[in-house]
Amino acid sequence: MLDLLFSITEWLRTTVLLDFSFWLGDTSLSLFMVENFWNVPIAQVIHIAAIGIGFASLLMMTLRVYEKAGMTQPVSANAARYLPWMWWSLLVILLSGLLMITAEPIRNMVNAVFWIKMIALVGTILVTLRFQTSVKAKALAGGAGYVASSGTRTTGLALVILWCFIMFCGRWIAYVPV
Amino acid sequence: MYPEPTNIWQSIQYSPMGISLAESLWAFPTIETIHVIALVTVFGTIVIMDLRLLGITSTNVPVSRLSADTLKWTWMAFVLAAVTGTLLFISKASSYMVNPFFLGKMAVMALAGLNMLLFHFLTYKTVTDWDNAARPPSAARFAGIASLVMWLAIIFFGRAIGFTLGVYDCELLNPDEAGFYNSLAQYVCQM
Repeated sequence: MLDLLFSITEWLRTTVLLDFSFWLGDTSLSLFMVENFWNVPIAQVIHIAAIGIGFASLLMMTLRVYEKAGMTQPVSANAARYLPWMWWSLLVILLSGLLMITAEPIRNMVNAVFWIKMIALVGTILVTLRFQTSVKAKALAGGAGYVASSGTRTTGLALVILWCFIMFCGRWIAYVPV
Repeated sequence: MYPEPTNIWQSIQYSPMGISLAESLWAFPTIETIHVIALVTVFGTIVIMDLRLLGITSTNVPVSRLSADTLKWTWMAFVLAAVTGTLLFISKASSYMVNPFFLGKMAVMALAGLNMLLFHFLTYKTVTDWDNAARPPSAARFAGIASLVMWLAIIFFGRAIGFTLGVYDCELLNPDEAGFYNSLAQYVCQM
């Protein structure tokens, strides 16, 4: 596995990403991020806090479709509470993530784990759109007595696992050699 | 070879478990990953409850029901974060114990615990009076905002520890330097 990751990183080094990373590292935003010791940690704190809000929102929606939490209100009302928080937190995650990439372009973009994380992120967003249809439009049409299908439940659980996998990759970006 | 321990923290760090955690290529990152997932869950579920106490979200859900829905996840994740945090601590005990951000994190966690205890044993006693209130009483709102601020500080201190590894150690202390931090660090190093 490590050999495979190393080979991917070696290949990334031969692509345009290397020059792009060098260029990005010379931009004023990148220099601003690295010239103050606390800028990167603060961006990471915002990133982590937003992950917490987004992940907990997903957890609550998934528990609701499994009928393990939030039973005082229908699935659609539960989704109306948590879905906007999840999407807005995703936006904050992306923006703070972009700042972190700009601060350390080579460490991130010439890194196999980073790209695995990005692929997982795109997949997660696509699956979330599907999950959203089930817990919002379908649930609204189904009324107060709407019971989520096993497919919706599995999708929710898959999203929880995907978020954990993305967090796993996020931490390991720092540990794989580039 | 590792040096002969001169204090309790080095004895922990240079214990067989401390050495195997520090020497392993995968142990520290793996435990840290679990710690982050657990901490994120603690923070996220606490935010849900805090925003309800502040009257910002879930205002149509009784406080007691939301508490029942979130609290078990908060506690499960907290136990996981505490266990993994202890393992991370063992691997670098002597440097963590003089790291002001680690000490700050522990202090704020104690305050967050105190805030939770005060809320649970005083404010929450009357929850039946304001369970359905969109805007809970000021004591509950204070607990909510205090909790939000402290948990954000805990995340900040946690990240700051990672960024200051190798900066603080008993061996690096200047015995002639005064000040609160230096006095505390020297006391800790003599334990």
